[in-house]
Amino acid sequence: MALVLDGVAFGLQLALLATGLTLIYGLAGVLNLAHGQLVVAAAMVGAVALGAGAPVLLALGLAVVTAGAAAVLLDVTLLRPVYRLRGQARVLLSLLLTLGVAFAADGLLVHSFPFTRLNLSVATPSVELLGVTVRSASVVASLVAIVALGGLVVLLRTTRVGRAIRSLTQDEEGAQLCGVDPGRTRRLVFVLGGSMAGLVAVTQGLVSSVGATSGLDLTIFALIVTVVGGLGRVSGAVVAGVLLGVVHAVAAFHIGTVLTFVILLVAAIVVILVRPSGILGGAGS
Amino acid sequence: MSGPLGLGPGGVVAPPASSLRAYLPIVVASVVLALVPLSLGGSRYFLSLGVHLLVVASYAVAFNLVFGSTSQLFLCQGALAGAAAYCSVILGNRYGLPLWLTIPAGVGLAALLGGGLSWVAVSRRLEVIYLGIVTLAFSLVFTNLLLGGRELTGGETGLVVDGGAGTWLRSPAAAYYLFLALLVGHLVVYRAIERSRLGWGFRALRDDEVAAALAGVDVARAKVTAGVVGAAMLGSVGATFAAHEGFVSPTTFAFGEVDVRVLVVLALGGVGTLLGPVVGAVVVTVVDELLRPLGQLRLTVYGVVLVVIFLGFRQGMVRSVRSLWMRAGTRAGPRTD
Amino acid sequence: MLTVEGLRVAYGDIEVVHGLDLEVAAGEAVALIGSNGAGKTAALRAVAGLEPGCSGRVRLAGEEITGLPAHALARRGLVYVPAERRLFGAMTVRENLVLGAHPERPDRDRLARVVELFPRLAERRSQPAGTLSGGEQQMVAVGRALMRRPRLLLLDEPSTGLAPVLVEQVYAAFARLREAEALTVLVAEQQVPAALQLADRAYVLEDGRIQLTGTADELTDDPRVRRAYLGLT
Ligand SMILES: Nc1ncnc2c1ncn2[C@@H]1O[C@H](COP(=O)(O)OP(=O)(O)OP(=O)(O)O)[C@@H](O)[C@H]1O
Ligand SMILES: [Mg+2]
Repeated sequence: MALVLDGVAFGLQLALLATGLTLIYGLAGVLNLAHGQLVVAAAMVGAVALGAGAPVLLALGLAVVTAGAAAVLLDVTLLRPVYRLRGQARVLLSLLLTLGVAFAADGLLVHSFPFTRLNLSVATPSVELLGVTVRSASVVASLVAIVALGGLVVLLRTTRVGRAIRSLTQDEEGAQLCGVDPGRTRRLVFVLGGSMAGLVAVTQGLVSSVGATSGLDLTIFALIVTVVGGLGRVSGAVVAGVLLGVVHAVAAFHIGTVLTFVILLVAAIVVILVRPSGILGGAGS
Repeated sequence: MSGPLGLGPGGVVAPPASSLRAYLPIVVASVVLALVPLSLGGSRYFLSLGVHLLVVASYAVAFNLVFGSTSQLFLCQGALAGAAAYCSVILGNRYGLPLWLTIPAGVGLAALLGGGLSWVAVSRRLEVIYLGIVTLAFSLVFTNLLLGGRELTGGETGLVVDGGAGTWLRSPAAAYYLFLALLVGHLVVYRAIERSRLGWGFRALRDDEVAAALAGVDVARAKVTAGVVGAAMLGSVGATFAAHEGFVSPTTFAFGEVDVRVLVVLALGGVGTLLGPVVGAVVVTVVDELLRPLGQLRLTVYGVVLVVIFLGFRQGMVRSVRSLWMRAGTRAGPRTD
Repeated sequence: MLTVEGLRVAYGDIEVVHGLDLEVAAGEAVALIGSNGAGKTAALRAVAGLEPGCSGRVRLAGEEITGLPAHALARRGLVYVPAERRLFGAMTVRENLVLGAHPERPDRDRLARVVELFPRLAERRSQPAGTLSGGEQQMVAVGRALMRRPRLLLLDEPSTGLAPVLVEQVYAAFARLREAEALTVLVAEQQVPAALQLADRAYVLEDGRIQLTGTADELTDDPRVRRAYLGLT
């Protein structure tokens, strides 16, 4: 039971991480391989702000804003030529460009913040939940993730903007004919997706810590969850995140983290091969 | 725009028809590379640098065949080379088999894996992004299995090669010419394929797979062949490199070590050009040495280089220099389509 | 309402519309007829802002709209219904219709009015648009366009994939709409009889050039049109 709760908590973090990636991919056709670096950038800004004596909430706000701003900056600068292409060509070019961005950002972050870590484990009394003792930090992190994920789902399902986002994800030209501005909506989605990444820095800072070298690992985790949930599917990413979180916790306890990682990777490969639209399935990809 | 992915060369160019003109660039490049150690006085430092240059150039030729010719995004160069290397080392260490048996066995394993990946991609009709993710995941699985399977692989510390110590293989000068021979072999294979019927099929399918199939190209077979040959190239270099170094470890073949560099090398030199991998490897090796004091920031330089190339300079150096050459006198810059 | 001057559209190096001049007055219905590959779709797409590389001048009710992107044109009331419809297959019929007026908030009265026009849609309200029949999808596509109360409706082959009865029904709906809302329509069509019945005037497009123009009655009687498009002698 304790393992499962741990797993759910970890899974919510994974879901938070992956929804940002999948949202951007679904709408813009850009698989942002620098997603993990957005988390790291947010963490470093938060850590520096805290170090400079900023109030916690301000520092964390800054962190989230940083990631959102960095993402939208990417959209309006480097990715501009990408949107002149369609389909596979767009996906491939954006993949290679964001890979370059990931290297560039990684080098810069590791060079500039070799010893900085965002660590928010201030005071974490434990609490009783379902007869199990859990760290309150973990509870808070999970609540943050739940609120953010829930907010995103509500936004997508019930608001006009959300409807515009979904229409663009399904048919870009059809959406334009309905008066949906693709550029503006895309910028909004980059802000949203980036901010979700920024929130991951906060929640990870609560349960453990984020250092400058975590970028690649975070991107890989995000990719695995996104693929298992189905590229571009927000609800799939949420379900896959929680599911893989539980698998991760249980497997890591029994067979160690190295083989657990292998299991997650193999899961992603298997999903691509037998069910490319993700575990929630459905027609199309 | 050429090729469905828009990253192919500007206009799909067939190789020269005459044999002399087709292979002359390889002859010139190999003579130049053969003379380099002599002009540098045969220092150990430069020779080992040279070996690394030749190794990465050979990897890039393989990637060029798989990605450049058939648009299959393999993000597992390091893993395929490493599979061959570990296979060869383990067979040698455990069963005392000689290198002339273990290296081909390693190459065979790599070819099998590469062909298998291609075959899976073709039969499941994986789009480029999915093949990229599958091969990336394959790389990480490979690295983690190396780390996890300690009894067999030595885990993080790797394996020391039992045989071969003190032989000519370990001498930097001999190794330099051995790897040069491998590189030349790869280039010859690459060019020979380009000039064959298979190469014609590659050009057709890179332009438009559906049209190529209609024109009678066996797309599946062409792609799997590219996967097998490319992986065999990677394996031969990886296994030979292990024998030369006398040591293998997970980092030698990690994604971040091999694939990243190969991507930069090929992008810089020019995807789909014969000598792009060589030119790219020379530039990257030299720049890498010059930037060594930068430490972590070197990665930033690579990243920026990738971004710049894919943003505007998509033909790579070989083709750009060639078009500059052709337009010599006019002040026209390289085409940046 | 719409004035097009010297419109040229090219795909890559191949120009497929060579300097098209065309006019649609307010309240008028105009047909653009021509055989396969004549350039009808290319011309409509360009007018609708979907071919950024085109050249020429386009004005809507006197306002210069050349080069504006598709979404901006839609918001100005120039609404294009493509032959392939481009519905949002995973969304319900209702959501598809509501999106037609984006970014305005959903207007209940207008929705009721559109559904009244196509009663079939009332039953299908909550069904994903992707699961509708071809005819129903066409109704959603037109209904979606009408949600905005368009000033000019561009229709590309509204008859695509429809049985003859349905073609008649769809065109009957257009005729009613013209009366009820003084709708201005430019319709590209291969089903020439239906189009000429609806339209006041028509242009005949061949190989990217206007070959013939006149009132619908004139063209119906023109021997060349009768031979080439009406299958009559
Ligand atoms: N995306 C495109 N790329 C290249 N050529 C195109 C493209 N779209 C259309 N064409 C070409 O432009 C020409 C005009 O096509 P268009 O679709 O406008 O014809 P049409 O009159 O609408 O025909 P139909 O009645 O069959 O729909 C054709 O020769 C077609 O092949
Ligand atoms: Mg048409």
